[in-house]
Amino acid sequence: MFYAQLLVNGLVQGLVIGLAALSITLVFGIARFPNAATGDAMTLGGYSALAAFKATGSMALGGVAAFLATAVVSLLAYLAVFRQLANRSVVSLLVASIGVAFFIRAVLGVTFGHAQQVFMAPLSRPYVLGGVRITPLDLQLAAVAAIALAAVFGLLYFTPIGRQMRAVADNRDLARVSGVRPGRVMVALWLLAGGVAGVGGMMLGVKTIVSPESGWEMLLPAFTAAILGGIGSPGGAVLAGLLLGVAQEASTPFVGFTYKIALAFVIMLAVLLVRPRGLFGRVEGAR
Amino acid sequence: MDAYLAAIAIIALIYVLLSLGLTLQYGLTGLINFGHVGFFAIGAYTSALLALKGVPLILTFPAAAVLAGLSAWPIGLVSLRLRDDYFAIVTLGFSEVVRIVITSEKWLTNGVQGVPGIPRLFEGLQGFAAQAATLAVILAVTIVAVWMILRIAKSPFGRLIEAIRDNEEAVKALGKDPASFKIQVLIVGAAIAGVAGAFYAHYITYIVPDQFIPLVTFYVWMAVIMGGVGRVSGAVVGAAILMVFLEGSRFLRDIVPWISEVDMASVRIGVVGLLLILFVMFRPQGLMGDYTKR
Repeated sequence: MFYAQLLVNGLVQGLVIGLAALSITLVFGIARFPNAATGDAMTLGGYSALAAFKATGSMALGGVAAFLATAVVSLLAYLAVFRQLANRSVVSLLVASIGVAFFIRAVLGVTFGHAQQVFMAPLSRPYVLGGVRITPLDLQLAAVAAIALAAVFGLLYFTPIGRQMRAVADNRDLARVSGVRPGRVMVALWLLAGGVAGVGGMMLGVKTIVSPESGWEMLLPAFTAAILGGIGSPGGAVLAGLLLGVAQEASTPFVGFTYKIALAFVIMLAVLLVRPRGLFGRVEGAR
Repeated sequence: MDAYLAAIAIIALIYVLLSLGLTLQYGLTGLINFGHVGFFAIGAYTSALLALKGVPLILTFPAAAVLAGLSAWPIGLVSLRLRDDYFAIVTLGFSEVVRIVITSEKWLTNGVQGVPGIPRLFEGLQGFAAQAATLAVILAVTIVAVWMILRIAKSPFGRLIEAIRDNEEAVKALGKDPASFKIQVLIVGAAIAGVAGAFYAHYITYIVPDQFIPLVTFYVWMAVIMGGVGRVSGAVVGAAILMVFLEGSRFLRDIVPWISEVDMASVRIGVVGLLLILFVMFRPQGLMGDYTKR
């Protein structure tokens, strides 16, 4: 029963990691670099959702605000920075993404202060299913995440722009020869990747706290999930996020709370050693 | 005033050492080490904890270098056959794990309370004399490190690691194994960072996990990128500029007192971020960079 409870907690935590990993894997697959600004984009999502939640009291509107604000800021970061570096080495993009991350964090820190903030969600009686407690809040969050995921996967697999995005991820040159316009694909990519990270950031904020550093801490688990799922595989990223969330919760009784992130690191190393292309990645992979 | 300048010079030289390690790893070999602060932390804690156990400092400094270097070895074994960007993620993760371990293992490191009362270099000397002696020692070590890296850069080994940076496939085609050279470079760079950590611990005399956040890694990256990637002179100039920036932002508070100290920390992070972006975009060769190439 104790473990069933951990499983439920892990799934909620896993959705946060999964959303962040989805954002990373989309950018990694299409724009071809690991975006270190993903964590701080999540922080932005957390603050945006918090502001909307305080104003309206609605968790759903918080999710919408998080999605929109983070999508717009991601697009701006692309237009101002990443687009200019598109033909440069991966180091340039990587270092620039660190720069973007720090800049977002600084702006958030100055705007909202450094005090930890929390979502004052009304307390409610948890549902008890066979001894496992599930709070309505968790269900709401899971619903918001499910809607965001459904929207992303719907867009990726059932719309022309989604098909083009997958084509660019698959083979950039071939996509271009086939008449895919990379500019539009990149705009769609950054809106989507940003929005998803924002929703993840809102969930993180609701489950824990919102502070200028909170999102950065998720970067390592998110990278781990993206690698475990296979870079460029959206479904793999979400699944790996859920797996990692459950693994982290299940390990807590044994290794303690603080080593959760270290566990993600160990899993990352193991995946890179044993199967660098991850669960569903392409063979070109990591080597 | 003399004491203040000496203090600045010591901290600046610590950053020079860190930048030299990164110049060897990234500038010469092309290794994207995003976990430099992890090796810095290992060096600091190693030397501090050994010194508090009564080990003489003449032994704790080499121990710091050796342990920091050794800690780089498994990281290299695991990840150096991977692509560059994966290496960056793994090293970043490594430095975070180092911080988690020193935060959690209270029996060894006293956790978030940190390690106080670390003995200084030259405990016997009084006041400014001790500081001047410390400055002299760290200056000597830095000069040796500069000389060593210049020698490495000019040696056959140096030509080989630069070849790895420029075209790894060609190096493989010539029958050399890039991974083994990369591991050596990673270890030497980490050992230099470890020595820098030892100087830091014995100069500040009080270390806590919060001093070893990833921001420090990117201070060093900023120094290396501003100074000029792959130039030893760039590492020195970059670290000097970094120091002026860090100290200058402290004095800025005297001019604009309405900015609180925490806001100033945010401003500092923002400026680091902005400078990283701007230099990568507009001046990737840095200030001391090669003006003829690229």
